[in-house]
Amino acid sequence: MQNHIGSDERVIVGLVRRSLACVKAIDEKTYLVAALICIMALLVLPPLFFLVVGAVTVSDADGVRITFERFSLLLDQKGILFSTINSFIFAFGSAVLALVIGGTAAWLVERTNAPLKSLTYVTNIIALGTPYVLYTSAWLLLLARSGPINTWYRQVTGGTETLINVYGMAGMILIEGLLWSPLVFLLLGATLRNFNPALEEAARMSGAGTWSIIQRITLPLSLPSILALTMLVFIRTVEAFEVPALVGTPGRVRVLTTDIYELMHRVIPPDIGSASALSLILLGVVAILLYFYGRLTKNAEKFATVTGKSFRPNQFDLGRWRPVAAFGLAFYFSLLIVLPCFILVWASLLPFYQTIKSSAFALVTFDNYRAIFTSSRYIDLTLNTITIALVSASVVMVLTAICAWLTVRKAPGAKIIDQLGTTPLVFPGIVLGVGVMQFFLNIPIGGYGTIWIIIWAFLINYLPYGVRYSYAGMIQLHRELEEAAAASGATPIQGFRRIVFPLLAPSLIAGWLFIFLLSTRALSLPVLLSGPGSQTMAVAMFDLWGNGQGPELAALGLVWSLAMACIAVLFYSVARRSGGGLPAN
Amino acid sequence: MMRALLKICFSIFFLMGVSSRLQAADPALIAAAKKEGQLTWYTTQIVNQFARPAAIAFEKKYGIRVNFIRADSNEVTLRILNEGKAGRVQADVFDGTGAAASLKKDGLVAKFIPENASRLPSQFVDPDGYWVATNLYVLTPGFNTDLIKKGSEPRTFQDLLDPKLRGKMAWNSNVTPSGAAGFIGVVLAEMGDEKGMAYLRQLSQQKITGLGVSARQVLDQVIAGEYAIALNIFNNHAVISAAKGAPSHWTPMEPALAVLSCLSLTAGAPRPNAGKLFIEFLMSEDGQRLYRDADYLPVDPDVPPLFPELRPDGVKFRAIFMTPEQINESLPKWGAIYKDVFR
Repeated sequence: MQNHIGSDERVIVGLVRRSLACVKAIDEKTYLVAALICIMALLVLPPLFFLVVGAVTVSDADGVRITFERFSLLLDQKGILFSTINSFIFAFGSAVLALVIGGTAAWLVERTNAPLKSLTYVTNIIALGTPYVLYTSAWLLLLARSGPINTWYRQVTGGTETLINVYGMAGMILIEGLLWSPLVFLLLGATLRNFNPALEEAARMSGAGTWSIIQRITLPLSLPSILALTMLVFIRTVEAFEVPALVGTPGRVRVLTTDIYELMHRVIPPDIGSASALSLILLGVVAILLYFYGRLTKNAEKFATVTGKSFRPNQFDLGRWRPVAAFGLAFYFSLLIVLPCFILVWASLLPFYQTIKSSAFALVTFDNYRAIFTSSRYIDLTLNTITIALVSASVVMVLTAICAWLTVRKAPGAKIIDQLGTTPLVFPGIVLGVGVMQFFLNIPIGGYGTIWIIIWAFLINYLPYGVRYSYAGMIQLHRELEEAAAASGATPIQGFRRIVFPLLAPSLIAGWLFIFLLSTRALSLPVLLSGPGSQTMAVAMFDLWGNGQGPELAALGLVWSLAMACIAVLFYSVARRSGGGLPAN
Repeated sequence: MMRALLKICFSIFFLMGVSSRLQAADPALIAAAKKEGQLTWYTTQIVNQFARPAAIAFEKKYGIRVNFIRADSNEVTLRILNEGKAGRVQADVFDGTGAAASLKKDGLVAKFIPENASRLPSQFVDPDGYWVATNLYVLTPGFNTDLIKKGSEPRTFQDLLDPKLRGKMAWNSNVTPSGAAGFIGVVLAEMGDEKGMAYLRQLSQQKITGLGVSARQVLDQVIAGEYAIALNIFNNHAVISAAKGAPSHWTPMEPALAVLSCLSLTAGAPRPNAGKLFIEFLMSEDGQRLYRDADYLPVDPDVPPLFPELRPDGVKFRAIFMTPEQINESLPKWGAIYKDVFR
């Protein structure tokens, strides 16, 4: 009897304690949610706010007034319409090309018995760590009027005509498409790898040949991923800056991003108001595209081919086409690695750029490398770039890990956090740059031109990527581990710190490395925001190109890319082990 | 006789005294500058030709570090304008062809004329005290000698309309004197508005490529063989590259555009003493020799250029000279014409 009462008491005490813990837990989580909402709102919303303010206010002798005249002025200009159309043609062409190149390579590597698979992997991973400015200038050197291809063409034909004129829409699409093919390869590769072969096997049993299986089973089943990926590359290309600036501007092809840059940089005083208005227009375009992208990926679940069953997709036998596939992949490798490296090595050894010809060999010098390794400026640039990337990646991953935890565990108010974390997807780099700049020009709190405002902009820019990685890791964790911790008296935050965070680590590390690599090569944000002491490697490369130091750019680019390639390889091995792969947006 | 001799001796001594006074900067300034330890210089000078060697020479002499950022004149203006607006000027010293004239209206330029400028002819020093010129730029066409034989290059504005040159010329499309805008300015000044505009419309049929890069890079692309002619480049750049073995040359097309590269201290410079010392240094004879040795045209009459033919003499080679203020006033107009006619 005594015992019985005792155990009842114990049960009651236990219940009370647990409900108290619950209340405390709710409190703790609520505070956390409130704090995060504040932090994220302060992070994300000011640039958007100042972009809008900058676009619709005019301050003149009569004071400040609100007006929409900038929009009507912009829309009245035929130029903006052309730029918008150009942006779309450019984005569509690049997306399709990236998909054809990267997709074919991915299919060959993942689903066939083509040779040279490891080489193709390495190619794409190295490409991931290489700044786009460098790639673009390398391909420009290759395809230029005086580049090796046109020179050899003239030697063969004996004429003075050129085979390729790279400065134009076609050249832009070609280069941008090549730039995006590695990402398509890696993303589509993951889809193809997780492909359930049951349907294909059934078709094969019914006597279908390889081609008709691809046509009637594989393609339709991968269609949603392919469409989503096309859309993603399309959106990213609408936002692209490097290729339009380096290839489009000389070819008189204007797009929205270069128009914004010109409004900020080519006129004095800069027309920041119009730049903000145009930025908002671009932001609107991207938001609409993202809406459709969201719908596309939502419906994609219907086509889910990944199930709990264990399987390995079978590989198509290419038969006599194997050598062709090998040739194709080798060509891809040379397009992405060999040719750019080759031309950059050549350029880096010259005092001034000359096409490859016997008379130029007499000029060969190591001065450019000497300049890089003896100039203290490059040490500063390295430090800046690495610091910005380290801090941005770390803060984003810690923040988003907490966000993902609260969202997946359905804490009250977590939806708002999730929303705030994914909103920055609508910001193209250049638009975000204008917004952040507006903030600092309107509120002179100092900090302008330091690395901290670049870090702030990067945090906003990369939050969605972090959310994606953390979320993917978080949904794999069952809540029972945290419940066990709670039962043993741990607070939710202790549970998160000591159980969830360590278990999330592989996804977080993969996401961290991805953001780190993106930050080291990003140009469009730092090109607007960097001051004398906060320049990054990509900005320095952009300047070197514009200021007539192509050979030094080549030397710097080669050394830098080698270092980044090592980090990219590390990234990939971690990402593969954690099963995280790459985020789709 | 004796008297005259004495007078000469005296003047020699006097001159030596003056020049040694000019060479050595004020010890108090040096001490204050060393305390600041470094300075930031926004420059339009090409990095490997001048900015880097000058920074290294200054660092060697005073142990004060020079952080430099190279950009075109309009970009330099823009950076300082934005920094001023954001309440944090970061540049101590800047140079450019029109930057000082534009920024002094916004109160972003400090009044500072170095002692070393006292020996310069008056046109090289701002009467209001905001800038001092370091070197003279002469803007002419440059060409690739592999693509156009020396002697057969276009020598007049009319020659540029030759259909054979269609699609073979390039210039810097930024709104700066060393680009399309400056070229337009010279044409209008020489021919007058009406004839000038008619000429420019004809020229636009030649499909000149506008590159959003510095004149140096435009010339580099010509040297690489991308284009045959670079319009409105710094003529000394063609000489510098030719000395290194590049197929480049310039032509004294008349009139050329002559502009000054002007050096100023920013208002609210974070390191004003180091900035002042750096300006004194560049204006000293040692500093001016740096310009000369880099094949630039120093303003110092005591430091003659290595290639005097680069400098318009007004007889065999005529130029239109524009002050920074004139350039700054007209640039927006020239830029607008470029946008209308050539884009």
